[in-house]
Amino acid sequence: MTEWIRWTAPAAVVISVSAPAYAVQYLSVEEAQALAFPSAHFSEIQAGHVWKASTGGIFVIDHVIGKHLYIDFAVALEGGHVRRVDILAYRESYGGEIRSPSWLAQFVGKTGASPLKVGDDIRNISGATLSSLHVTDGVKKILAQYGNLR
Amino acid sequence: MATIRKEGRQSSVRARFRRGAMGLAAAVVLVAARAPALAGVGESTQSASGNVTNQALLEKLDAMERRVKLLEGELKRKNSSADGKLQAQSASDSKPVTDKSANKAKKAQDQTKAAPNDAHQDDAHQTPSAAATAADVGQPATPAKPAAATKPGEKAIFGLVDSPVAGLSIGAYGEIQFGEMQNPAAGGQWQLGSDPARRFVLLPTYDITDNIIFNAEIEFEHAGTGFDNDDKLHGTAEIEQLWVDFKIADQFNWRAPGIDLVPIGYINQHHEPTEFYSVFRPELYNGLIPSTWKAPSTSAYGTVADGVRYQVMLSAAQEDFGDAYDCRTDANTVPLGSGTTPCTAGGAAYFPGIDGLNALTFSNPPLGDFRQLSNSLAVSGRLDFMEPASLPGLAWSLSGYYTPNTTPRGAHGDLGNLLGQSSLAMFDAEFRYRVPQSGLELRGEGVYVTFGNPANLRANNDTDPTDNVGKHMYGASGEVAYHLPLGTILHSEWEAVPFYRYTYEDLQTGGFAGTDVNAPTGAGQLQFHNVGVAVFPSPNLVLKATYQRVINRAPGGAQSDSALGGLGFFF
Repeated sequence: MTEWIRWTAPAAVVISVSAPAYAVQYLSVEEAQALAFPSAHFSEIQAGHVWKASTGGIFVIDHVIGKHLYIDFAVALEGGHVRRVDILAYRESYGGEIRSPSWLAQFVGKTGASPLKVGDDIRNISGATLSSLHVTDGVKKILAQYGNLR
Repeated sequence: MATIRKEGRQSSVRARFRRGAMGLAAAVVLVAARAPALAGVGESTQSASGNVTNQALLEKLDAMERRVKLLEGELKRKNSSADGKLQAQSASDSKPVTDKSANKAKKAQDQTKAAPNDAHQDDAHQTPSAAATAADVGQPATPAKPAAATKPGEKAIFGLVDSPVAGLSIGAYGEIQFGEMQNPAAGGQWQLGSDPARRFVLLPTYDITDNIIFNAEIEFEHAGTGFDNDDKLHGTAEIEQLWVDFKIADQFNWRAPGIDLVPIGYINQHHEPTEFYSVFRPELYNGLIPSTWKAPSTSAYGTVADGVRYQVMLSAAQEDFGDAYDCRTDANTVPLGSGTTPCTAGGAAYFPGIDGLNALTFSNPPLGDFRQLSNSLAVSGRLDFMEPASLPGLAWSLSGYYTPNTTPRGAHGDLGNLLGQSSLAMFDAEFRYRVPQSGLELRGEGVYVTFGNPANLRANNDTDPTDNVGKHMYGASGEVAYHLPLGTILHSEWEAVPFYRYTYEDLQTGGFAGTDVNAPTGAGQLQFHNVGVAVFPSPNLVLKATYQRVINRAPGGAQSDSALGGLGFFF
């Protein structure tokens, strides 16, 4: 009985020590800003919500509810279209698949004229339907509100 | 005498100190007085214009001194803001934002706790009220949230209103069913009926902290329970899920012991009515996988690699006892003895938990009061695969379940023979594929169950020759659906999903062993044809119509066809 403990305990310790300390917060605001507009400086337009990048472009932080809990995400806009979408924090136990880079890459290039509709131009992820829908709605709203800011 | 001398000594020390301080002050004053003179020493030999220059220099020095003092003060205030004091910023000063202030303002707006994990943040414990003040004072007008009408995805209470308690969210789902069904116990007569509150489930979720999450599901089935004859209630009030999640790392999270869903297949964990298109849950989940399959359990889960998630669960094992709860003895055994008198009538005969007509429907371990009938545990696990780059739109999973023993304490056949151990193993593979840029959706699933020792299963020793179990059970299903947008109706975007599903099950294969006469009727080989349409007025609501045809090998057939309507909601 103790055999398996002897073999798995070191692995468990190693994992718990070496693994990144986040299971909820994947990117900080700064890290997301750097990913969206590398080597740019940011000035806040709305506190904690919207920034202007020195290289030209808008960076927005918002949140939506997945199934029950908030998803924090970031949208980078440039010239009226989406440049990048990142998930900053995902709290649910199910549905984390929306963090997949290939799913988030679908938003790149979307404009205010894009349908931005799950099942239409955005793939659904079964098992993460609500998260997919709400994040897509969130990106659409941000495009509508800030897509024209320069 | 001694005291006077001491005081004298002390006073002399004080006197010396005073003298020294005065001397120092004098020196400082002299230097200060000299300083402008020293500064102007180069120009003092010049004319009156030189005195004007001196004056200008003096003024410049004064200005520099004032500026230094201002900067010192700001630095002091900045450092002390970590203790939650006000940060006075000049409104005209648009500084590049630090992570600190962004997260502070966010805290004030969201009423959720920001993750204190960022290494750059050194004021993670700042109270929200201080954060709000700092944000209001320093920054230009801040909107609390982007102004929007009530849209799904923003309100934490039933999707309608903001939560009164930060971090608390309450959801609900439920099903209404009605229609006409053939009753096999009435010779296949078509009978009109309804289950208008088939289930109603409340889903309270609470972030105790950002990394510790409480979750529960409170379920009422068949409109609840009651005992007066005029209530006409025979339902259930139960806790379907109850657990606390500790979110530790992407690769490892722990779900503390509680009631949780066994991670087999897709629908068991995603069983809300908006997740499947037929009125009844998919057939594989109505027996082979005894959905809603929940057990006392603890789990670990996380992400293994990009797009691959895992869950491993340790749970109380299935039990081969399916009779009335009170038939359990106080010693936590099955009713003991022999014979064919049912335990509900005081005898020793009891209904099996696993049988060839109901599969595993009656084998779930009890959830209450330490009344499990064996010490056996089960281990189960699943791997979820998501969106491979080669085939976007595809999701699939592999899962398995194993327990070394399903036989409860005291298990016996009607002949009095004691039943020994029998293991149970289950494997499931399923996929869901939504073809990109189209409305086509495909689903497929296969389940395989194997029993270690069929001779030790109650169903093979209960005198009933028709419910016997072989060495295995298995089932497979395939479904095709098409998503049709219906446009905007009643201010919402509707979608219709016509579908067809075929399911095959064999619950009575070869390999029988036991004391029963083995004479299955063929009722254990089943085919289901489901055709219907699910209409979604919104993603949270579904209206369903399904026709189901059931075929088995029994003489006379299954006589269980149905034409049903349903309504499901999930928010």
